[in-house]
Amino acid sequence: MESSTTDFTGKQRPALRYIARDFWVGLVMLAVAAVYWFEAGKIRISPLDGPVNASGLPKSLAYALGFLALVLMVRGLIDTHFAIRSGKSGEAAPALAKALRPHLRAMGMLAIGVGYLLTVSWLGYILTIAVLLVAVSLYNGARAGLKVGLFAMSGGVFFHLMFVEFLGIPLPPGLILAPILN
Amino acid sequence: MEALFFAWLALTTTPAVFAAMGGVVWGILGGALPGISPSITMALLLPFTYTMDPIPAIVLLASTYVGAEYGGSIPAILIRTPGTNAAAATAIDGYEMQKQGRGGEALGISLVSGVIGGLIGLTCLVLLTKPLASVALYFTPPAYFSLGILGLSVIASLSTGSLVKGLMAGVIGLMIATVGTDPVSGVSRFTYGAPELLGGIPFILVMVGVFAVSELLVQSGKPDIVASGKKRQLTIKLPSWALLKRLRKPQMIGSGIGLFEGCMPGAGGSIAAFMAYNEARRWSKHPEEFGKGSPEAIAAPESANNTVAGTALVPMLSFGIPGSNSTAILLGGLLIHGLQPGPLLFVKHPDFIYGLYSGLLVANLSLFLLGILIITPAVWLVNRPKPFLLAGIYALIFSGIYSIDNTLFDLYLVLLAGFAGYIMRLLGFPFLPLVLGLVLGYLIESNYRRSLLLTGGEHRVFIEDPISLGLLITALLFVVGSGIRDVRDARKKLQQAEDSNS
Repeated sequence: MESSTTDFTGKQRPALRYIARDFWVGLVMLAVAAVYWFEAGKIRISPLDGPVNASGLPKSLAYALGFLALVLMVRGLIDTHFAIRSGKSGEAAPALAKALRPHLRAMGMLAIGVGYLLTVSWLGYILTIAVLLVAVSLYNGARAGLKVGLFAMSGGVFFHLMFVEFLGIPLPPGLILAPILN
Repeated sequence: MEALFFAWLALTTTPAVFAAMGGVVWGILGGALPGISPSITMALLLPFTYTMDPIPAIVLLASTYVGAEYGGSIPAILIRTPGTNAAAATAIDGYEMQKQGRGGEALGISLVSGVIGGLIGLTCLVLLTKPLASVALYFTPPAYFSLGILGLSVIASLSTGSLVKGLMAGVIGLMIATVGTDPVSGVSRFTYGAPELLGGIPFILVMVGVFAVSELLVQSGKPDIVASGKKRQLTIKLPSWALLKRLRKPQMIGSGIGLFEGCMPGAGGSIAAFMAYNEARRWSKHPEEFGKGSPEAIAAPESANNTVAGTALVPMLSFGIPGSNSTAILLGGLLIHGLQPGPLLFVKHPDFIYGLYSGLLVANLSLFLLGILIITPAVWLVNRPKPFLLAGIYALIFSGIYSIDNTLFDLYLVLLAGFAGYIMRLLGFPFLPLVLGLVLGYLIESNYRRSLLLTGGEHRVFIEDPISLGLLITALLFVVGSGIRDVRDARKKLQQAEDSNS
């Protein structure tokens, strides 16, 4: 119990402050279960309900999730105990920036997706899908140039022909290109 | 006779043949892309099946599964990166053969073994499904409720990661299934005034989000394997008669294991492939060649995973319990078209069942020809830089999902599901129990409440019904068994840690 541990930033801190990840996951899940149970309590009671009303199963699920979350927390504490005993809690963690990099990249991909959704109604499908192709390929390491431009243009036209013309899906024409496409 | 009539009818009056061949091509191409599993390949296709007739739609999805199992062996042999998990065993000797200049031969063995395995799997599917499904005719509402619980428990117990996390994922899936209009009273639940949520969260959005979008997010943070290596080429070479004779034994071993593993929920193609590899080595006359480029070491796992592509449909069609991610997607496809798996499917929709079988026969037979023809574009695709592939798949997801209901709201939900899937991967939660909870949510809740309606709220009904009791005991045994396994593993780890410390 006297050993020390290294945090994300590389700082040494007492081992007692190290708690396994599953404990925190369990805690978050317990909170989710509590919120879900609270929200389930707001479900309207209908005269058509049988012995179990519409909030019956949701409340049972909240109890089940809460119980499992507690089990996970206990397991997290046991893992913590084992980790400290075996000295694993003192192993150096990777630097914060390095550890976060892949997750930040993933969030960047999500942000590009949200950007697409926010602009597609204005710019229209064909233009936005081309921009999406450029953005995702550049974001994932493609070199800016003619190749990416051609990929985006041909991709935009291909997706437009495939979905709008061939499958007849009314994808948003957008405010800019609507007069031309219509 | 009736079966043959329906099979013939499906092949001649519906575009099932084209769907089968299209599915195989799409599956080979998707399976050939490292990181894109058969389930992701199928999930990408799912939105397009909405507007199709049930037979070609499901044939398309099932054929994609068939094609993807073979497609996964292409990058496994070419660049030692399995396109699917099930192809990991093939990569061992396949890549060795490629290094020896025998990559084309390895691919030929993979194709032939895949076709043989697929046909054996299909035969077992046809022979086993109906008798098993007829058992479900004796099911009452309590038994159906318990069947749902058993399905969730088995999948949560056998999924990768811890039992607790598997069960939590299943419960979260059930929670998502409660969003929308209550199936009994019609009261809206967790909709927060959003009319789009009244019909519930379509499981297709969750499937595409957690499987496909989260994979894109993960791939975005990984280096490009192709960019770092030189471009590889490959020409397929079919095995000679003499070699085919030698491969008979490993192919039968692989198919036997594939038959057993496919019918077992949670097992899947990758376990079958590795078991087949080990057993083929055990029974081989040349075990010393394994790991150094043995043709038998490719034949056994490839016939195993293609057999699984057929037999994995047995529990899904008989009881509506999918045993793997791919069959969960397939179940989603069935439910989208209002087809409820089980014995009544054989009574109400024999045309669909026999249409599916005939479509799968076409898929497995055409795999042989298409596997040869499609090799050049598949290798071209394997050699494409990852940034363009990711961009293309992202665009396909956005376009495909929008085409279901023509609303951007669905796309926000897909991104949210993708984010949730990414977090689940990060924290070691399995996907399959979540998807299964979502898919089985209606079955579990409606039968639970129907049972209590019949008995005036008496929960005893679940243990008084013998089938229900049997299913619940089995579920309990699975959970307790997995719990004991988890504790034993943890103790072993602690012991090892203490031993290494001392």
